Amino acid sequence: MSEPTAGVGIELSDVTKRYPGQKTGAVENFSLKVEPGELLMFVGPSGCGKTTTMKMINRIIEPTSGSITIDGEDVLSLNPDELRRHIGYVIQQIGLFPHMTIAENIGTVPKLLGWSKSRIAERVDELLRTVALDPAVFAKRYPKQLSGGQQQRVGVARALAADPPVMLMDEPFGATDPITRLRLQEEFRRLQADIGKTIIFVTHDFDEAVRLGDRIAVLSERSRIEQCDTPANILAAPANDYVAGFIGRGAGLMRLALIPIGEVSLEAPSAESPALGVDGSLRDALDLLVLTGAERVNVTDAGGAVAGSLTHAGISAALGASRSPAGSAS
Amino acid sequence: MTVQLKRPSSLRHFVTPVAVVAVLAVVFAWVATLDLDSIEARTLNAGYLIDRTREHLVLTVVSSALVAVLAIPTAVLAHRVRSRVVRAIVVTLGNIGQATPAVGVVILLAIVWQTGFTTALVSLVAYCFLPVLRNTLTGLEQVDAATREAARGMGMTPNQVLWRIELPLASPVILAGLRTALVFSVGVATIATFINAGGLGDMIVNGLKLQRFSVLLVGAVLVAAIAVLIDWAAGLVEDRVRPRGL
Amino acid sequence: MTGLHLVRLDEFLARRWEDVVDLTLQHLAAVAISLALATAIGVLIGLLVWDRPVPRAVSLTAAGIAITIPSLALLALLSPVLGLGWVPTIVSLVFYSLLPIVRNTVVGLREVPGHLVESARGMGMTSTRVLLTVQLPLAWPVIVTGVRVAAQLTVGIAAIAAYVAGPGLGVYIFRGLSSLGSVNALNFALTGTLCVVLLALLIDGVFVLVTRYSTPRGLRV
Repeated sequence: MSEPTAGVGIELSDVTKRYPGQKTGAVENFSLKVEPGELLMFVGPSGCGKTTTMKMINRIIEPTSGSITIDGEDVLSLNPDELRRHIGYVIQQIGLFPHMTIAENIGTVPKLLGWSKSRIAERVDELLRTVALDPAVFAKRYPKQLSGGQQQRVGVARALAADPPVMLMDEPFGATDPITRLRLQEEFRRLQADIGKTIIFVTHDFDEAVRLGDRIAVLSERSRIEQCDTPANILAAPANDYVAGFIGRGAGLMRLALIPIGEVSLEAPSAESPALGVDGSLRDALDLLVLTGAERVNVTDAGGAVAGSLTHAGISAALGASRSPAGSAS
Repeated sequence: MTVQLKRPSSLRHFVTPVAVVAVLAVVFAWVATLDLDSIEARTLNAGYLIDRTREHLVLTVVSSALVAVLAIPTAVLAHRVRSRVVRAIVVTLGNIGQATPAVGVVILLAIVWQTGFTTALVSLVAYCFLPVLRNTLTGLEQVDAATREAARGMGMTPNQVLWRIELPLASPVILAGLRTALVFSVGVATIATFINAGGLGDMIVNGLKLQRFSVLLVGAVLVAAIAVLIDWAAGLVEDRVRPRGL
Repeated sequence: MTGLHLVRLDEFLARRWEDVVDLTLQHLAAVAISLALATAIGVLIGLLVWDRPVPRAVSLTAAGIAITIPSLALLALLSPVLGLGWVPTIVSLVFYSLLPIVRNTVVGLREVPGHLVESARGMGMTSTRVLLTVQLPLAWPVIVTGVRVAAQLTVGIAAIAAYVAGPGLGVYIFRGLSSLGSVNALNFALTGTLCVVLLALLIDGVFVLVTRYSTPRGLRV
């Protein structure tokens, strides 16, 4: 249908939030540069200030000092209501308007921006299909008729409605059961691959951060950035004990899950080894090796033909080589 | 799951007015069989009944309309100000107001000012103002904070949030308050007879004073019928205006 | 403006304070008696109809209509049968109190979580026993709130009862009306009204305490 707006860069410089009567702020001297089209995860325990920081970008919370720019424009000099109409905003409790239909909910910002009725209707249909909800069934329903997972998808669709270049998401999949959450994460990952918006995604779930993020900012008290880097780099080399604590055990296996088999050079195949497809990750390969006790596993390509094989040693080697040069922490 | 949320079936809703009309019919039929003496004849005729009913309805409807026009915007303002002091004042005044007997307000105002229709109207408005104010304020405050935040986060101005989100979501509570005020007003308008404001209370009081049971009965039944019918009508409006999906 | 001067309100009160106290106690007695009766009747009705849709709808509608009827009309309608004075006053006050009490009893009983009833039945309790030993105590705070609402209503309505020679502070309010133009008219009406207000606030305060101390320990927030 329409070409989605590409993401733009966000820059926060020395942003501080101090509430009246506080000696030390909820957020202190936070500086970060978010690249256009990047999905950046804010990870940290409750109360570390990650949500507060995110909410300063669209000025739901006003910063005490510091500067925030989006695409080079100073956010603090703009009219806040105008600003927010161009930022997609998804909160943890979703906040669907109970007295409006799903279609009316999704069409809220387009209506605020003065789109024509037909354009809004088309967009609503498009978005419902994007989040895997049949428009014929769901457009006219009310929020209370939907399950939690469906409501959450509508929340994401609503944030995307006006095609904003930037999105802020605060634990958007938090209020669902683990199975639904995994499915939503999967769908969201595919969606972001298509639309490439600049997204700040707050979560306390490190696994979610690893699964979704292009980069992860691990935050401690007062939103202090302990490490900001790609998931693979953080897993391979945590900056300190705090970050290591977040990772917990099994960092190696987590890293393997991030490396697709297709990116690794394969050895020669052998005749009777068990096989798996090339679309899996190195962790799937290791899993098969452990399950079968075989020395090596064959890798089949999309057509079914055997393309090569992997051994324990080969997998470890790939892990060692997977650290990207000069991990960036801004 | 149904696609459209259905409104409750309306056939059941006609039981009330049908019952009221039946009771009225029985009472009037009974009166028609009586031999009326001069006092009764002067009261129990169409002209007198219509006049008193009209006075009563005017008092009720006008005062309730005034209360709505005054109390709801005041509550919206108080809500906007978002001051705890304002809220505490409203709640305290509301409690005191609720503890005040209506007949006291009516008679006090008549002593201090004058008797008559205007006084009755003013005392009615004064009496119903606080409950509607408090109800509206409560209704607005009960709107879910997450819904409000989502609305502001999407870029709605405070006015837009008020008109598109808060008022619609608070409307059931606000309407319930208005409905109660309306029914109350019918009752207090009955008391207005004590200060020469007219209305159907005249018939009740005369019937009691002059020991004419027929007059008493017709007056009391008419007033009760009006109260029940207004309550029923207000209930219908409440159902119609309530946003679907709530 | 005619009577806007409190002519010697202090003298007025000094001379009549016994009267005032007497009327206040009468007012309180009328409210208390009717509340007691209404609670007994209302809770009983609630216990009987809470889980039966048709009787429940009928009771609630009937009580709803009772409360919609203007108080003067009801008092007047009862007078040919019950005369004037205490009896029609108490009867109509009971009428008015029924809706809040019955409705809150029904709602309170229905809001008891289903799984609690289920586990009680599962232990072998009869449904009546469950009703009385599990549901009623849990519904009690809601029921007390209903009685509290009824109390507020009746304190105000009782003031009108004076018109049919009923008891209470309404006597002073109507005396103010009938002596309109005289020096003490405002004193009478004001004393009557203010005493009703104070009585209502006092009774409400008592209810706050009653609610807190009669709620089973485990439920207190």
